[in-house]
Amino acid sequence: MQEQTAFQVSGDAARELSAEIAGRSEQPIASCYQCRRCAAGCPVGEATGYLTPDRLIRMVLLGDRKMALNNDLVWRCLSCYTCGTRCPNGIHTSRVTETLKQMAREERLEPLHPKTDSFHRSFVKTSLFWGRMNEVGLMAAYQARVLWSCLKRRDFREMRSEISSQTRFGLSLFRLGRLHPGWTVSRGRRELGRLAAKSGRHSR
Amino acid sequence: MEYAYYPGCTLKQSAFPLDRQSRKVLRALGHGLTEIRDWNCCGATSASKLDDFLEVAMPARNIGIAESAGFEEMLIPCSACYSKTVVAKTRMNRDPRLKQEINSELAHQVRGEIRVSSILEPLFDAARSRELGQRVSRQLSGVVAACYYGCMLTRFPLDVDLRDDAENPGFMEAVLEAAGGTSLDWQEKTFCCGASATVYDRETALDLMGRIFSDALARGANCLVTLCPVCQMNMDAYQEAYCSRLGRSRRLPVLFITELVGLALGLGYKELYLDRHFVDPAPLLREMERQQETEAAS
Ligand code: SF4
Ligand code: SF4
Repeated sequence: MQEQTAFQVSGDAARELSAEIAGRSEQPIASCYQCRRCAAGCPVGEATGYLTPDRLIRMVLLGDRKMALNNDLVWRCLSCYTCGTRCPNGIHTSRVTETLKQMAREERLEPLHPKTDSFHRSFVKTSLFWGRMNEVGLMAAYQARVLWSCLKRRDFREMRSEISSQTRFGLSLFRLGRLHPGWTVSRGRRELGRLAAKSGRHSR
Repeated sequence: MEYAYYPGCTLKQSAFPLDRQSRKVLRALGHGLTEIRDWNCCGATSASKLDDFLEVAMPARNIGIAESAGFEEMLIPCSACYSKTVVAKTRMNRDPRLKQEINSELAHQVRGEIRVSSILEPLFDAARSRELGQRVSRQLSGVVAACYYGCMLTRFPLDVDLRDDAENPGFMEAVLEAAGGTSLDWQEKTFCCGASATVYDRETALDLMGRIFSDALARGANCLVTLCPVCQMNMDAYQEAYCSRLGRSRRLPVLFITELVGLALGLGYKELYLDRHFVDPAPLLREMERQQETEAAS
């Protein structure tokens, strides 16, 4: 019964999704033989529970697009590269989670972990804008996104806790003289801007 | 050796001690560092989560600047910047079309020949050639270090030439021992600290850091030694948080390898910004001095 299910789903949907993801991520996902060496070393395994890198690959191979594009591992993956270093078939699941995040964004899906999404977007946006990452500027942009989404949900408790924990952290850095008051900028931002426009996907 | 030096954004801000220490230590070992002109952000671990092209394009511009200035080797202290620059160079060399597309927008073209190194490489070479040992003016006796590599120094999302071992690296240990310190064999030296997840997924990150800390402590370490500015910040700044979750009262200073090598080379406490840590390393340094005195007396 189980086997038949597996054979049944390896139809057009499965072929299409695996080919798309294998191509974009440049990973030979079809050679995964479910040995789970990746799972054994994944640091977020305890947080994602059922969903380990091998199961994510399986999900893609079976063509479950909806699940594959928006699940806990895609958003929790730390890009620690442990799975890919250990995989006997050279599959870097970190590349797959990155591809899936990009696809989810292109399809305008609501991200499962909005804060993670906000952070990476704020990072790239502000770094492209100034040509360099400014820690204060990045955190301000990130906080603005997070607080705005709290406000929309009317989650004032989360709002308070975000503000207080970030303020505390900022103050402790300041006390140690590790908070930088100046702004660092690169003239290369123009070249970067042109490169970003060429690729065009990031700004969504 | 004359290196093209890429500090990266963090080293100009919260991790500025690593920038200063790297310059001082490498100068003391007879190397020259020239900061590359008008460098930009490498995109860190965020760019690849949004866009495969930008992941390569952002570090590419820096490679182009370093190459057109005529350097053969680029030195990058920050592990994330180092990793991303290596990845960009490798991907462009594998894919000439990608390289060309990026080059068409750059004032300084990428050839893709420059060697990209972390500062662990010159430090390790100095240790191996015994030059470091000869220049040591203050042995690191009493330092029992858990050398913590994290992710980005030894693991990459594609095949690269790596001098150290990916799963059980040993460059930091070799450097410390050449400077008279003791290092430990331990389990979590390449385990992930959570990196930027401390900002957006704190519970998960605290669990990971607790695991790293507990292993280092159980093996008898009196400090954690790292090179990555994110690992250093996380393990240091969040130590109260993850230790209180685990009910641990001991604290361990989290030092950059350049701090310890700097001390061994005779640089001063303030000169190395050792007073800028969340967990104060002063008790460890007193222990060092005490050991040195007993050794001198015997
Ligand atoms: S380690 Fe590789 S082959 Fe084994 S289950 Fe994971 S992805 Fe598949
Ligand atoms: S790269 Fe992501 S999926 Fe792979 S082991 Fe690390 S956290 Fe897990």
